[in-house]
Amino acid sequence: MFDQIFFILSAVLTMGGALAVVFTRNLMHACVFLLAALFGVAGLYATLNADFLAATQLVVYAGGVVILMLFAIMLTGGVQSGFNKFGIEKIPGMGNGKTFTAAIVAVVVMCFVIFKLLRNAVLIAPKGEMVNESTVEKLGTLLVTDHVLAFELSSILLLGALIGAAVIARPRHIKEDV
Amino acid sequence: MITLPSYLFVSFVLFACGLAVMIARKNIVAILLGIELILNAAALNFAAYTKFVNQNLDGHIISLFIIVIAAAEAAVGLAIVIRFYQIKESIHIDDATQLQS
Repeated sequence: MFDQIFFILSAVLTMGGALAVVFTRNLMHACVFLLAALFGVAGLYATLNADFLAATQLVVYAGGVVILMLFAIMLTGGVQSGFNKFGIEKIPGMGNGKTFTAAIVAVVVMCFVIFKLLRNAVLIAPKGEMVNESTVEKLGTLLVTDHVLAFELSSILLLGALIGAAVIARPRHIKEDV
Repeated sequence: MITLPSYLFVSFVLFACGLAVMIARKNIVAILLGIELILNAAALNFAAYTKFVNQNLDGHIISLFIIVIAAAEAAVGLAIVIRFYQIKESIHIDDATQLQS
């Protein structure tokens, strides 16, 4: 009973946040609604017995990615609708009727394709449920035994992304650009 | 009773919203928000199939790697956005039409 209430709350938070990201007109509000959707996904992980995944989701997304997004929004002019050297109405860019029509057509086509092709995958027979216990110890063992190559490669990927982001975003002098 | 299709429906709604955001928005940061939604939908599917179908924890491992890759992608993408804003003074996607300015 508690599981069902928690699942329904998390699902409503997730889907409401995602729909609000689609339909809001303010980029900063969209980022905060994305945060709500990510909290909902963390709640869904908790209902799936994935406690370590829920904690990682909260730490990485709520503590890292969304804050980074907010910094990027504020560093690139925020949400005001001033005009730049390319003319007015270029900064907000939150879409117009034409782009939303194209998006709705694309989503309808994708719904048709998914329901047509993946119906058998959705109707797969469940083979019982996982036992309700902590997954942290097993995940740590798996990460350094079976999946150790991917683990090390992801560390190299993170190092490369860190250095690459610092190199790309560093301020350059005007003289070097010429 | 919560079953597999309910999780798949939530994940499907997340994916559809991410796709709609990616197509409808003209702002590069908003497109990155859509990409985050799509990656979350994929990770949620992995966790759901782990609980209801095969019960070993490989799905959780793959969800973890999806989260790691999403973090790296957000960092590099936002660095590119900031650099692009320094050059063009705009984050409109239609202004990004040439590799070298």
